Amino acid sequence: MIRLEHISKIYDNDIVALDDINLIFAEGELVILKGVSGSGKSTILSLIAGLLKPTKGDVLVDKKHISKLPDHFCSQYRRDNIGFIFQKYNLIPTLSVVDNILLPLIPLNLDEKELHVKLESVMKMFSIVHKKDIIVKNLSGGEQQRTAIARANVNNPKIILADEPTANLDEKLSLEFIKILKELKSLNKTIIIATHDPLFFDLDFVDRIVEIHNGKLVCS
Amino acid sequence: MLLTPEVLTISILNLLFFIFASIAFYFSVKIVLKYDNNATTTMQYNLEKQSYLVATIIKFIFYFKVLLFVFFIFTLDDISNILPGAMCGAGVVNATQYGTYLLILKIINLYIFAYWLVLNNEDMKSEEQPYLKFKFKVYIFAFFLLLLEIGLESAMFFSIDTKNVVDCCGSIFSTTDGTYMAYLLNIDPSILLSSFYAIFLLIIFSYIIKNKYLFSLLNLLFVVVALVSLIAFFGTYIYELPTHHCPFCLLQKDYNYIGYFLYIFLFIGTFYGIVIGVINFTKEEENIKYKISLFFTTLYVILVSYYPLAYYMKNGVWL
Repeated sequence: MIRLEHISKIYDNDIVALDDINLIFAEGELVILKGVSGSGKSTILSLIAGLLKPTKGDVLVDKKHISKLPDHFCSQYRRDNIGFIFQKYNLIPTLSVVDNILLPLIPLNLDEKELHVKLESVMKMFSIVHKKDIIVKNLSGGEQQRTAIARANVNNPKIILADEPTANLDEKLSLEFIKILKELKSLNKTIIIATHDPLFFDLDFVDRIVEIHNGKLVCS
Repeated sequence: MLLTPEVLTISILNLLFFIFASIAFYFSVKIVLKYDNNATTTMQYNLEKQSYLVATIIKFIFYFKVLLFVFFIFTLDDISNILPGAMCGAGVVNATQYGTYLLILKIINLYIFAYWLVLNNEDMKSEEQPYLKFKFKVYIFAFFLLLLEIGLESAMFFSIDTKNVVDCCGSIFSTTDGTYMAYLLNIDPSILLSSFYAIFLLIIFSYIIKNKYLFSLLNLLFVVVALVSLIAFFGTYIYELPTHHCPFCLLQKDYNYIGYFLYIFLFIGTFYGIVIGVINFTKEEENIKYKISLFFTTLYVILVSYYPLAYYMKNGVWL
């Protein structure tokens, strides 16, 4: 379970990104964070991922105080628990698909066999196995997106965070992404998506839509 | 005022240490007074960020200070070349009223700074940072010792007059002048050696029974006994001269810089031995520290014991 308790986030330039937010995400829940650009959606994702510290308040993931974790423990927490899908994919363009997916596994020092099993399974799951040796910059947007999703899932994280995942995709590819999302939801992963894409608002497998406006919750 | 390149280096570094240590001191006081691990306020989050930064500043100061101890000893030895009468670092230490106090304080600080580094390392290993407030309290105490050290060091270098003739180590560590040093040097070697080897064997025994407090205490005692026995007994075999008791000459090339090895072995061995009793390590880490301590202490004992034995085997007599 993820709890955000009285969270405020004020950036160094005095911009109030979040103002006294209280939110709970249950295990296995798929929640859409809806709001215009600058409303504070991405900040919530960054706080849950331990990429940012709040100015005030507490973030708890499975009773662990994420906001109180020293920085060097945040990376370990992210590696073990979080799969992050970014709007611009954040892949390394000069590496192949397989090398990009492999990246989060490097610190784990797994043996060759174990690596292979994990890679094959995740590439199959997200239908990218046939492109595994292609350099990422030569892939289409949809393929890059699938590579990014495979990378986010290779550690089998229990929380998936996606920040505007369909912003760079056309409608066909966006629908393909939604199909993948449904599959992830069936694996009982907690999924939080920050988006203003209307495609997400009428999905039957979405548990909740949370609207944020100017750093405050509008409805939940 | 003495301004050799080494003294200049130490003085500039001291100035930098003073500036950064003072900044760290200000924030340490703030952290000790206001840090509350359960709070989720803006101030607490700021203090958490500051604590990481300040701990990093202190860590670098203390790493440098520990390493610079060797450079300080080298500097003393180097300055002895330009002080009339001085044959080694002992003459430089004795050249001003501050030298002896500075040297004693530097040895104490060496252990305290190294202790802080280990404490910080342990604190950073845990998500809860169990030693956070404590390490900053220790730093506040260490800060004053650091200031005193910088003050004494500057005073010593400023008051050395290269025109004055100073005592050489032969007269400083003389057995006949009725000083505390003469008293130490006149301790019966059999008592000294019995204590030295008995403490070493007790250290091994306390390791076998895994009594960390006894191990720690014995290591503390071993530092003192090892230094006294080195000056009073073992040193004479390194020099192969019964009247030469200087703890500095053995740092020189004539004696293959053996002093550096001896002091480094003794420091590492006893430091890890002492620290076992004052910080709660995991069993695995404790075991590693036991082994490091025993390894270096044993190296020290073997090395100092080698000289009298080699002398006896070569000459058939003791000094």
